[in-house]
Amino acid sequence: MPIHNTSYQHWDGVHRNIWQRRAVVAGSSLTACLRVKLLRNVVFACWMTALGATAVLFALGQLLVADSPVVQWVGNFNPQLQDFVKMLTTWLEKHPEISVRTTQNVAFYFYAMFLLRLSIFALGMGIPHLITRDLACHAIVVYYSKAINRWDYLLGKFCAAFGLLALTWLGPLLAAWFLGNLLGPDWGFFWHSRAALGHILLFGLPAMAALSLLALGCSASSLKEKNAAATWLLWWILAGVLVEIGTHTRPWLCHLSFNYNLEQIALGVFHPGADLKLAQDSIPLLGMMLGNVHPETIKALNAPTISGAVVGLGLLLIGAVYILHQRVKPE
Amino acid sequence: MNASPWIIETEGLTKRFGLQRALDGVSLRVGPGAIGLLGPNGAGKSTLMKCLLQLQPISGGVARLLGRDVRSEGREIRRRVGYAPEQDCHIPGLAGCEFVTHCAQLNGLPFQAARQRAHEMLDYVGMGQERYRLCGTYSTGMKQRLKLAQAIVHDPQVVFLDEPTNGLDPKGQAQILELVASLWTSFGISVVLSSHLLHDVQSICEQIIIIARGKVLVHDTLANLQARRRGAAELVVGEGHEEVRAACAVRGWVCEPLANGHLRIDHHAETLNPLLELLHELRIAPLEIIPSPNALEESFVQALQLSHAHP
Repeated sequence: MPIHNTSYQHWDGVHRNIWQRRAVVAGSSLTACLRVKLLRNVVFACWMTALGATAVLFALGQLLVADSPVVQWVGNFNPQLQDFVKMLTTWLEKHPEISVRTTQNVAFYFYAMFLLRLSIFALGMGIPHLITRDLACHAIVVYYSKAINRWDYLLGKFCAAFGLLALTWLGPLLAAWFLGNLLGPDWGFFWHSRAALGHILLFGLPAMAALSLLALGCSASSLKEKNAAATWLLWWILAGVLVEIGTHTRPWLCHLSFNYNLEQIALGVFHPGADLKLAQDSIPLLGMMLGNVHPETIKALNAPTISGAVVGLGLLLIGAVYILHQRVKPE
Repeated sequence: MNASPWIIETEGLTKRFGLQRALDGVSLRVGPGAIGLLGPNGAGKSTLMKCLLQLQPISGGVARLLGRDVRSEGREIRRRVGYAPEQDCHIPGLAGCEFVTHCAQLNGLPFQAARQRAHEMLDYVGMGQERYRLCGTYSTGMKQRLKLAQAIVHDPQVVFLDEPTNGLDPKGQAQILELVASLWTSFGISVVLSSHLLHDVQSICEQIIIIARGKVLVHDTLANLQARRRGAAELVVGEGHEEVRAACAVRGWVCEPLANGHLRIDHHAETLNPLLELLHELRIAPLEIIPSPNALEESFVQALQLSHAHP
C-alpha cells in the first residue's frame, strides 16, 4: 500500500526547453548503446590507446632533452636504433617548431585512422539501438506523440551517434594530444603542435557528422537489429574489398566505401606525405628507411582523390537522408 | 492562452492513402468533456486522432486542437495533449517506471519531477512492483495501464485513447474505463476515447461522434441520442391482435404483423405513452413492449452496415 497520495495530481512546474528535450532523446539512445558490453569494452580500448599515444608523444618529447634517459634506454637495445634516435634528437633540437609539428601531425594522422576503424566497429554495435529498435517496437509513435517532432527526434539520435564517436574517436585523440603535450619538456609543444590539433578538429568533426548520418540511415534501413548491424559491418568490409578491386580497374568503385572516402579526405587534411618528405630530407637515415617503401604507397599519401571522395561521401549521405525520410515515420 | 471554447475544430479535414479516403471532409466542433469516437474497424477513428496529433500529415482541410493549428503548432499542441496508441509500443530495454519517466521528460518535465510523477501515475493506474520490470515482459492489461500512465504523466489538457480496452478481460475493461472516466469527472482532463465497442463509449462519454467510411454520421450528446427514438415499437400480446390493428387504423398508425407473431406499430410519438393508453382502452395486457432502438444504437448499426456494404 503506497504511503503517498495515489490520486491524480496536477503538475504546474516549468517545462524544459526544446534543446533539453532533444538532449533527453540523445542521452537515452547513448545510454542504450552503452548497455552493450562489447561496445563498452571497445570504448575502454579506445581510451587505453590514448594512453599509449600519450606515452609515444612523451617519448618523442624526451628526445629533446639532453642526456635523456629515454635515449640511453633505447640505446641499450640496439646501437643502430640509438644512432637513429640521436639523429632525430639533433633534428628536433635544431628545428623544434618544425619537428614537433611534423612528428605530431604524422603521428595523429595514423592514430586517427586507427581509431576510425575502431569507431566504425563500435558504431556497428550501437546502430541497432539508435533507430532500429524504435521502429520495431513502435516506440517511434511514442516519441512523435510527445512534445518533439521528427526533426527533434532525428537530431537527438544524431547527437547520440555523434556522442558515441566522440567517446571512441575524438575524445581519445584530443586526450592524447593534450596529455602528450602536457608531459612534453616544454609548454611550447602545445603551440608547435597546433597544426595537429587543427587537423584533428578539421577532419574529425565533419567526419563524425558524416559517419553519424550514415549510421542513422543504416539503423533506419531495417526493423531487425541483427540486420541493421550486419548491413553496416558488411558494407564496411565488402566496400573495403571493392577498394582493392577498384584501385586498378574502376577507381569509382572505391568511392562506394565510406571508409575509403574518409581516408582520402584525411590525407587531404593532414598531408602526412609532405611531412614525411620533410623528415626524409632532414634525417638521412629515415630517408634510407623510407626508400624501401613501395612508391605507390608514397604516391597515394601525396595524391589523395579528395574531390572524388567528397562527391562519393556526399552521394552516400544523400542515400542515408533518403532512407531516413522514407522510413522514420510513425506508421 | 487558448481562447477557443472548442478543444477540437476541423473543417473539411481530409486524409487520403493513395486513392482511398480515410477521412472525407470531416467538420467538427467539439467542446471539453468525455468524448466518444465510435465506429466500426476501419471507419477512420484512429486516422482522425493521428491527424489531429500530426502523426499523419493532413491531405486537406483545417484542424485545430486546443485553439492551435495542428500543422504549424504540432509540438506545442502535443505538450498539452496525451496519446495512448492502439498498438503495443514501448521503448526497448526500459522498465515501466523508466519508460513513463522518459515520456514525461520528452514532454519537458525536469528529471526529478518526471520520476516523481511517473510513480504517481503508475500508482494511479494501479501498477505495483511490476513497474520495475522490463516493459517487454508485460501482460496486455499491464501494457494498457502503462500506455494510459505515459499519456497522462505530463498533466495534459486532453488525452486521446485509442481502443484502450482492447485485449482486456471484462474486469480489466471495467477498471480501465473507470480510470478513464475519472480523468474528466474528477480532474477536468478532457478525454477522447476511440472504440468500436458501443458499451465502452456509452458507459463513460458525454459526447458521441460516430464515424463510418471517413465521414461523421452523428455528433451529439449521449443524453440527446439516448432520448431520441423513432416512434415505433414491437408489441407482444397473447390475444386481441385484430382489435389492436383496428384501433391503430382508427388512429392512423401503421400496424404490421411480424413473422414471429409480434406486432410492429409506428405510433409516431417519442414515448410509449400513446401505445399504453390504447392498450388500456382495449383492456389488453401486453406480454412485452419492445421500444425501437434509440438514435445512438441506430446510428451505430447504420455505421456498421455502411462499413459492411463497402468493404
